[in-house]
Amino acid sequence: MIIKGGIVYDPTNGIFGEEMDIFLDGGKVVEEAKGEEIDAQGLLVMPGGVDAHTHIAGTKVNTGRIMRPEDARSGLEPKTKILRPCTGYTVPNCYAIGYRYARMGYTTVFEAATPILEARHTHEELEEIPIVDKGALTLFGSNWEVLECVRDGDLDKLAAYVAWGLRASRGYGVKVVNPGGGEAWGFGGNVKGLDDPVPNFDTTPREIIRGLVKANEMLNLPHSVHLHTNNLGKPGNYTTALETLDIVKDIAPTRDRQVLHVTHMQFSSYGGTGWRDFKSEAPQIAEYFNRNDHVTMDMGQLIFGNATTMTADAPLEYSNARLLHAKWSNHDIELEESSGVVPLVYGRKMPINAIQWAIGLELALLTESPWKTLLTTDHPNGGPFVNYPEVITLLMSGAKREEEMATLHELVAKRTVLPTIEREMDWGDIAVMTRAAPAKVLGLAEKGHLGVGADADVTVYDLRPEKIDPARDHKRVKEALGRVKYTIKGGEVVVRDGEIVAVPRGRTYWVDASVPEKDAERVQADLVDKFDKYYSIQKSNYMVQDAYVTNPVVVKAGVI
Amino acid sequence: MREIAIVPLQEFEVPLEAENIRPDLFATLSLEEIRDLEVWEGNRKRVLSDLFSVADDDGTGECLIRLDGDFSRVKRIGEGMREGKILVRGNVGMRAGSGMHGGSMQIEGDAGDWLGREMRGGSINVKGNAGNYVGSRYWGERCGMRGGEIKIEGSAGAYLGDHICGGRIVVKGDAGDFPGASNRGGAITIGGDAHLPGAEMVSGAIVVKGRARVLPSYGFQETAEIEGKLLWKFVGDLVEKGKGELYVALVEDDGQLDK
Ligand SMILES: [Zn+2]
Repeated sequence: MIIKGGIVYDPTNGIFGEEMDIFLDGGKVVEEAKGEEIDAQGLLVMPGGVDAHTHIAGTKVNTGRIMRPEDARSGLEPKTKILRPCTGYTVPNCYAIGYRYARMGYTTVFEAATPILEARHTHEELEEIPIVDKGALTLFGSNWEVLECVRDGDLDKLAAYVAWGLRASRGYGVKVVNPGGGEAWGFGGNVKGLDDPVPNFDTTPREIIRGLVKANEMLNLPHSVHLHTNNLGKPGNYTTALETLDIVKDIAPTRDRQVLHVTHMQFSSYGGTGWRDFKSEAPQIAEYFNRNDHVTMDMGQLIFGNATTMTADAPLEYSNARLLHAKWSNHDIELEESSGVVPLVYGRKMPINAIQWAIGLELALLTESPWKTLLTTDHPNGGPFVNYPEVITLLMSGAKREEEMATLHELVAKRTVLPTIEREMDWGDIAVMTRAAPAKVLGLAEKGHLGVGADADVTVYDLRPEKIDPARDHKRVKEALGRVKYTIKGGEVVVRDGEIVAVPRGRTYWVDASVPEKDAERVQADLVDKFDKYYSIQKSNYMVQDAYVTNPVVVKAGVI
Repeated sequence: MREIAIVPLQEFEVPLEAENIRPDLFATLSLEEIRDLEVWEGNRKRVLSDLFSVADDDGTGECLIRLDGDFSRVKRIGEGMREGKILVRGNVGMRAGSGMHGGSMQIEGDAGDWLGREMRGGSINVKGNAGNYVGSRYWGERCGMRGGEIKIEGSAGAYLGDHICGGRIVVKGDAGDFPGASNRGGAITIGGDAHLPGAEMVSGAIVVKGRARVLPSYGFQETAEIEGKLLWKFVGDLVEKGKGELYVALVEDDGQLDK
């Protein structure tokens, strides 16, 4: 296949708006190829989109669906000859997830939080999400074996357990949510800062984060530790975020990437002493990122309207539910985590929500390098992923931001600096934030770019970058971003003129990391004991079998 | 007045989805266009004239739809209607008048479940009985009925006015389990008996003129006279720090109530 004459943005390879042909063959980008020609003359062409943080599969997503039958009243699309029926907005069904990402030109999406104990469910759903390639990050932040290894300072055993946990969950990377807090919540408590002890384990969030980051690097994992900070969602939490960023500064990554990815930073950039004097501290966070290169973040942009919050930060969900008098689901995941789900509505005239909305944009616009700030809404916590076109146009158009701000609570002008920001991003910045950077952050060498050897995942937008001014014509741009001209996945046209035309099965990435035998044995001895005494299931039934990951890409890593 | 008369051509074996039977829609259409309106019979797409005879008296002005026969398997009649009238000489199926904003519906037989679900305005009168979830919410939503009035001459099933946020429901006969659950501002009057009214009620009022068992999370306040009848007045549901008013003529007491 040849994609002819597009205006190509491929930041990884230093290409920013050059007219060129792209050749695809055997599912890869190649030097030369023959076959079908896609006429992209003058159209915007980018690598397929990569979402490094979204919640699309697993027990908490399904809990959201069960709690929110009303969500399934929207987003209804009947079945067609090739499509299954779709439902839902914040918690769409599996098919809708695949189709909607593909229609926006996304071809790779990563589920951001899976407990090992419930990973089988995650994979059952990932298997049903069509078209896109997928992966799941595994939760380790309140896991008893992790807490014990950290307490004992046994990094070799910790690394061996992480390797085993990834294999058991068929997971791709290490996710840490409110480290220690999930365990404390088992006793109705929480951890309130980096040095607040975790009950019964004689360790602290600081030690958990540092231990897991070191283990992650010992294992040479493709992705860094992926962290949801302590105190997330609370006024004044930006100090916790800054402190957290700093405590891993001395640890060297073993790969050419960040040593820590802090996710949905919007929820961790809050000032004030309470909700009354709640304000943005995004400028302080952005300044830290401008001065330091060891960390990355994603936005966690808020979208007005319906959202369903779902997180392994169970105490946070308890406070959400109490504050908003909303539906609440609470879940205890045995030795590993606790979690919660709370539906809510973000209102334009609600001062807190308006400020949160501004914070996400401030983070992206004030951080100079787009390589450090991935575009996400923490779907569906900040809002559903189908709103990425809205977020992109907000970043590209000051006029659009002004129009939006005019509809918000007036505190947005007093408690944030967004009205003073003039920066308007260009297509190069957007290609970085939605393709090149998420692939680099995840350590996916064949994704997010169009160099020879890359996966043949390409987006062609019905936009002429040389003719359209996104700052002015943001309505037209938003429309085109939501309904791409072509999405090509693995060398096959899957979307044409905004309609799905083929539904191939995507692949699932997971990491198989090797560790020294003696460490693996020590972990197994611990686990036999834990399964005997505490788990509700047998160890032999714990590990996700290959039958649940039928189209895998196994990435090798490890100590040896 | 323009009167459109609709009569089933057959007995329906599978339920019909007939949300196009609404007077404000008919008012904008010719008879031919009305006959061509879409109806789903199970999973098959039909038009109205495949299943019903449709006659037009060619009158002018407000539209009245007269439904003659058994419509108990015809769902969603008058859904979302904003004006006009529906007169049913028979029974209607599920979701009649759901999401109704205005106009009126007179049902001479029985109504199915979900009558007037999420109703916003207008009126519904039922001569016979109604099923479960009259004036209720859709699953998961915060609010059911917000406005308008539903009157039922017979009895109603369970979850009458579930999550009602406004408007008024009057049932002359009995109501089933949990009438007025999560009431947030609606008014419900039950002429006969009810079981455990007002669970999680926050505001609004429920009157039970017959016998009812009252939840232990209600506090007794005083006796009150309503329409010449002396009733016990309770306030609750205290589980929700509610200030809803519950009036009951005969309290089924299992000794737990502090009154
Ligand atoms: Zn998340």
